[in-house]
Formats: sequence, C-alpha cells, structure tokens
Amino acid sequence: MTQTVDVKTLKIDGADISARADQTILEAALEHNIAIPTLCHLDGLSDVGACRLCLVEVAGTSRLFPSCVTLVEEGMQISTQSDRLQKYRRMTLELLFAERNHVCSVCVSNGACELQTLGQSHGLTHIEFPYRFPKQPVDASHERFTIDHNRCILCTRCVRVCAEIEGAHTWDVMGRGETSRVITDLDQPWGTSESCTSCGKCVQACPTGALFEKSQVGTGSKKKPGFIPFLNEMRETQS
Amino acid sequence: MKKTLATVWLDGCSGCHMSFLDMDERLLELAGQFDLVYSPIVDQKIFPQGVDISLVEGSVSTNEDEHKIRMIRERTTMLVSLGDCAVTGNVPAMRNSFSVSSVLERAFGDAPVNRPEMFAGLPQLLPRVRPIHEVVKVDVFVPGCPPSADTIYTLLRELLSGGTVDIARLTRFGA
Amino acid sequence: MTRTIIIDPVTRLEGHARITLQTNGEGEVDSARFHVTQLRGFEKFCEGRPYYEMPMLMSRICGICPVSHLITSAKACDAILAVRIPPTAAKLRRILNLAQIIQSHALSFFYLSSPDLLLGMDADPAERNLFGVARANPELGRGGVRLRQFGQQVIELLGGKRIHPGWVIPGGVNAPLSGQTRDRILAMIPEALSITQKTLAWYKIRFESFREEIRTFANFPSLFMGLVTGTERPGYYDGKIRFMDATGKIVADNLDPAKYTEYIGEEVEPSTFLKSPYYKPLGYPKGIYRVGPLARLNLSERCGTPLADQEWVEFRSLERGAVLSSFHYHYARLIEILHSIERIHALLDDSEILGTHVRATASINSLEGIGASEAPRGTLMHHYRVNEEGLITWANLIIATGHNNLAMNRGILQVARHYVHGDKLTDGILNRVEAVIRAFDPCLSCSTHAVGQMGIDLRLVNPAGDLLDRATRQ
Repeated sequence: MTQTVDVKTLKIDGADISARADQTILEAALEHNIAIPTLCHLDGLSDVGACRLCLVEVAGTSRLFPSCVTLVEEGMQISTQSDRLQKYRRMTLELLFAERNHVCSVCVSNGACELQTLGQSHGLTHIEFPYRFPKQPVDASHERFTIDHNRCILCTRCVRVCAEIEGAHTWDVMGRGETSRVITDLDQPWGTSESCTSCGKCVQACPTGALFEKSQVGTGSKKKPGFIPFLNEMRETQS
Repeated sequence: MKKTLATVWLDGCSGCHMSFLDMDERLLELAGQFDLVYSPIVDQKIFPQGVDISLVEGSVSTNEDEHKIRMIRERTTMLVSLGDCAVTGNVPAMRNSFSVSSVLERAFGDAPVNRPEMFAGLPQLLPRVRPIHEVVKVDVFVPGCPPSADTIYTLLRELLSGGTVDIARLTRFGA
Repeated sequence: MTRTIIIDPVTRLEGHARITLQTNGEGEVDSARFHVTQLRGFEKFCEGRPYYEMPMLMSRICGICPVSHLITSAKACDAILAVRIPPTAAKLRRILNLAQIIQSHALSFFYLSSPDLLLGMDADPAERNLFGVARANPELGRGGVRLRQFGQQVIELLGGKRIHPGWVIPGGVNAPLSGQTRDRILAMIPEALSITQKTLAWYKIRFESFREEIRTFANFPSLFMGLVTGTERPGYYDGKIRFMDATGKIVADNLDPAKYTEYIGEEVEPSTFLKSPYYKPLGYPKGIYRVGPLARLNLSERCGTPLADQEWVEFRSLERGAVLSSFHYHYARLIEILHSIERIHALLDDSEILGTHVRATASINSLEGIGASEAPRGTLMHHYRVNEEGLITWANLIIATGHNNLAMNRGILQVARHYVHGDKLTDGILNRVEAVIRAFDPCLSCSTHAVGQMGIDLRLVNPAGDLLDRATRQ
C-alpha cells in the first residue's frame, strides 16, 4: 500500500520549488541550496523558532515568518534576501551581542563560533545597541565541561539535544526575559546533576563558546555536531 | 596636500598601535602621504585642531579618557575606532561586572574613599568601561584584537586617498 | 616663587604617564614624581574565570610584550596542573620569549629612543621620531624596522599571530614546529645579526656624546635583580632569583621565584597607580633595586653566546663593579638583542626542536601556581589561586616595569635637579626628564598591577618631611 505524498509548489526568491506538505520553508530552502541564516536550528533536532534569524517575507502579507517552524503552502511566494530582512538580521545579531558579554578575543571558540561568523557575514563591524554588561556566572562544577553564561545566546540547542537525542533532559530554561538562563536539573551546579550522563552532546551542539570541554585550551576549537542527524538515522533504521 | 593623521591610545594595551607599527616598511612608505601630527610615538603634547584622520585605540575607562575623546572628536574629521577595546569594550570592559571600589581595593589594599590623598591627581575610573561610540560619534569601526597590520594598511591607504573600505571583509571581532 | 611643571603626556613610551616637578623659591627642583595614569584591574576581573583561559586573557595586559604574559601565565598554569612540560615545548617557548625580547628591545631602541640618540636630546621636536630618524639616517631607521620585524615574524611563524598569539597554553604549546618554518627563520637570521652588529658599532661611538646624560640618568647605587640559570647566565625563560649590589657583590642567590613574598615588599605611593617594590631585608626605600637588560647583564657571569659575550666583556668594562648608569640600558638592550638572535639560532639547531610531543595534559593538581620569567623589561611573575573547579579565586601579578618604579622616580629627580634651574626651561631639558624614563623602557599598561596586600605601609608626609599619617595593613 503506497502513501501518496502531498507535494506543494511554491517560489523562493523567484525560483520554482516543490516540497512535501510536511516540510518547513527552511527545509525546502536548504534542500534547494538556498541559504537562510539560522542559530537555534540544528540538523537533527526539532525547531523552535527562538532566534528569529530565519525570518522570511511572504507575498501578500507584511508579517514576517520564521521559516524553521512555518510549513510550506501551495503558491507561496517567499523572499529571503530583501533589505528589510537584512536589516532585521543585523539587528537580531546586534541584540545578541549586546545582551551578554561576548569577549571574542579571549574566548575558547574565537574563530569557530557561529554567532561570530554570522556577524561577520552580515557585515557587522560594531554593535549599535548599548552593551548591557550583565554579571553572569561560570559553572565549572562538572568534571569534564564548563558553561560560561556570558557567552550563551539561549538558542536552547543544548536543551533539545539532551532531551531528544540523549534522552536525559538535563538542560532546560528557567526565568523569563532578561533573567532567562539555561539550567541543569533543578537549577543546581552541573556537577551535582543526577541526570547528566557526561555524554558531551550539549557541548557539540552549542554554537558559541558557552559550553566547552575543560581540555579545550587555546582558541578556535571547532564543534562537531554532525553526529546528530546520523544518530537519528541509526535510531530510525533500528526501530 | 598631505592628510593629517593622529593616533591615540585610551584604555588599551597598545596592541593596536603595535599592529600599526607592524606595517613595517610599509609605514615608512605611507609616511610620505601623511603628517603624523599627534601620536604616542611623536613628541607633540597637544592634540591639534583640524585633524583629518584619528585612529583611536582603547576603551573609555576614566574621566580623563572621556574628556580626551570628546576633545578628539571635536578636532577630527574622521574618527576611527581601532581595535576591539575601542569598538566593543573587550577585555577592559570585563571589569564592568565588578564595582570600581572592589577593583581599586584589590589593587591597592584600600578604597579611595578611605584614602583620598592616595588618588589625588589621578584619573577617576568610570563606573562602566564603554566603547568609544557610546560616548562620541565614530565614523569607521575596525574590530580585531588587534586588527592585523594588513587590515590597517589597507584601511589607511584607502582613507588617505579618499576611498572606502568594506571592513567586514578584512576583519572581525576577536580577529 | 615655587612652581609646578607638568609634562603631560610623556611621549615615546608605552602607556600613560605624566611627570610633575616642583621647584622651590630659588627655581631649583624640590621634588619630582612620575605618575602612571592607567589601571584596568586585571587581578580583579579575572576572578571567576577558568584558569586555562588566563594566558589568553593576561596576554591583553600588553600589546608589546604579550608573549611574556602568555608564557609566565602558562607557567603558573603548568604549576596548577603540576606538570613538567615536554622538553620540545620548553624550547619552543624559549624561542618565542627570545623573539619577544628582540622585537620589544628594537621598538624601544629604534622607535622610541633613537630619535634622541641619533638626533640629540635638543633636536627639533618635530623631527624627534622614527620618521625623523629614517630621514637623517635611512640605514639606521630601516634597520630598526627590519629588526623589529624579525622578532615579530618569528612570533608569527611560531604562534600564528604577531600580537596575542594563542599558541602558548597550559602544559606546553598548541602545535609543533615544522622543518619548513624552522628553515624560514634560519634564513632570516643573517640579516638580523648584521643589523644588530652595525647598530652596536654605531652606538658604541655615538654614546660618547652623551657623557652628561650618562652621569645623571638614574646613575646611583642600587641593587639589581633578575633570573639567573645554574650556569651563571641570564635565565630568560627559567632560573632562580639573584640580588646583587652596586659593587657587584651577590647579596642573595638561588631564591625560588615562587617565594617572592619573602623577599619582595611593596609600597603604595600617592598619586600614582604604580606601586614600588623593594628588597625586604633592606626595607623601604633602601631596598631599591633595578631589573631589566642593565640588571641582567650585571647579574651574570656572561651571556653564553659568542658574539654577545664579546660585547658583554666590553660593556662590563664601563665601570668597576656593576654598571650603574641607567643610560646604559640602551647599550644593554642591543647586547641582549644580539644574544637572543644567537640563542634562537642555537635552539633551532637543537635536535629536539621539531619534536611532535609538545603538550602535557592533566587536570588540577594544585590550588596555587606561580610562574616567573624574564620579560624584556625585567622579572615578571604571575601568581594564581584556584578553587577545586579550576576557577580563579585570586591573582597577583608582579610586573617587570613595576620593580623599577623607585629607580624611575629617583631618576627623574636626579635629572631634573641637574638640568632644571630657575627660568631656564627649554624643550631639550624637559625632553631629558622624559628620556631618563625612556631609558628604563617602561611598559606602563603592564605595570599598574599591584604586588598585593602584603604589609602595606602608607606614609603621608608634608613638605617638611614630617610624618602626618601612617597606616599599616598585614
């Protein structure tokens, strides 16, 4: 018995695209090598639309849509590169830089950081918004890993990889607005967590230098999250 | 006519100035195109009026820095924030998580309020270290810690000839 | 009529400083003070950071000698890890350190001081800079640029970047040296040697024109301090502390740098962010000592490389006992450049230099670590305390330039008293007051870091010298 696949046809930046009905705009775009910037999206994890970098324009409405959580629809006309979008992307990145303390020069991820790379590719040479300089903690209680909250952008990739791939759900988010923080278990030092398996997936999923291994010294340590979709595939073939 | 160039360091480590000197012989070549009218490496004690280009390194950390940068802005046509300290606050701004008195106490074993004579005549640390553009308008931003000599050379060469540069192609935060 | 003369800023040196001179009713200089006007607070804001980030962070203390901070910080972290780094890594760090000394000394000599040395202290201020030197003596100017470039390029080839290279890490270095890179550096050495030797030859004739300056530029008996290796040579990367007096007699020897609090005290002086270290057994201010090139050449039996040793013998013959005039820091710097080039050559020829094991790994094995090395300007120490998790709880830095604070202040007074009289205040005279500081080649961004809260004795005196107030803290 065959299942019919519901196919939608739409346009992205003028190009004709066909996609499955259950695909998001982002998935369709990536499949067709159309680049849309993202930070909270990570291949293999669910999407949450947290960072708002993937916003796109859809003809017929002035509203912008987060492409990672918006399903394709028949006849949609999407544009990903307008001046308005470029402006908002830069603004989003600037707000991220201004919100906490991103001291690139001394960071373990300097040169290998997704926030930094996106900043440069969007032409950022300075941050217009006033820096907040909040006081943020460093939790080095875990034997192998450290989290520096100064560098966290609350993308929640760590939360999702731990919950969805490892299954431990050690990480979650506490607080609202500017007091939001990622926490381990019941907001306790990571080293005292009973659920953490020390697998290190969160470290590899983290786009910045917030989460890192204690043995990583110097700068420019590249993360390797490529195992995530691979693990997904392996699990699917086994079930 | 030669353009007038000034270089200043505020609260920085002088690394950006060293990178400037890292142009090596290119600096001597470029020197034919500008008059260095104020700089830590020349003996001019007063910042002159009517400077065409000012390269400023370092963040604004004391009341003296603030006074200086406002004066420099007034007397400069094109103000360039050179390096991460000037552009973002960078490492000096790490003291913003601590109070000024705790910083001074750690350094001197006592707080200025108890020993005012100790700090008489010295600049006062501002409560917050700030990047230059939070105090005055900046025309060009050159991030990097420090921006490479190649970046500075390209920038200077273009500015001296009246051209423009796409800085983001050359350098980034933490470069 | 009393008068205050302020020199602000002091130019052609690294960092922020001003000098105030106080003259009495007869126009003679009564007091002189050197104020350092910058403080960033590294020892405070590094609290709470993971210790293995310290080298990169401490590197930002200074853009001229970042390598010195990188290395000394990494040594303190090595002590926290309680590791002995692989021999190849130690040799590679040594090469980096020596390259640093070359470029920093070249900066000091050619970019900052040669305007005075070549053109004279009274030369037109508009000419007294690198560009004026390049116009008046193109070979000297260009040679200086090339020599500094040599040092910077060695750093870049080894460390990846000229300024703030992240190559030095706790436990060793990040990557080994390739044969190709080694050969590139070896090819650059002949030119560097030639420039240094030519400059030395020129300078040994030139300095005879500065007899008055030699006599008066911080020329007084003092102790000298520095790291010395077991074979009686300056220990740039390693060694034990030695104190020597002005006659050349060794006052204290084989001191463990990690025990610095036992023999170095410090004094807080008003109106400057720079504190004054002194040799504790002799008290303050009798315990004044100097560090840096002049000290290092006084302290050792020899340099340990052939060309430099020849120059060293000639240098020491300037005076019986220790060479005392701070003007001769310039001469000492040139000899150290020569020695460093020779030593780099020897290290590159070492059989272990291309070894691939360059990092020792461990976790925290000690809650305290102290590292010491000779920076271009003198002995540098980094002292860290961490908690069980590896976060810094306390950091203390003894900065090379800081050791010279007392000597610099005394130097200005000496120069000012000799040259400044009544209404005769020319630009050349004021330049000389600054030039004595330049001889020390202070790194002022580095220097505004206290030795810490050890027995601070704070005295407030009135112009008559009466003690007004005193506060002690243990």
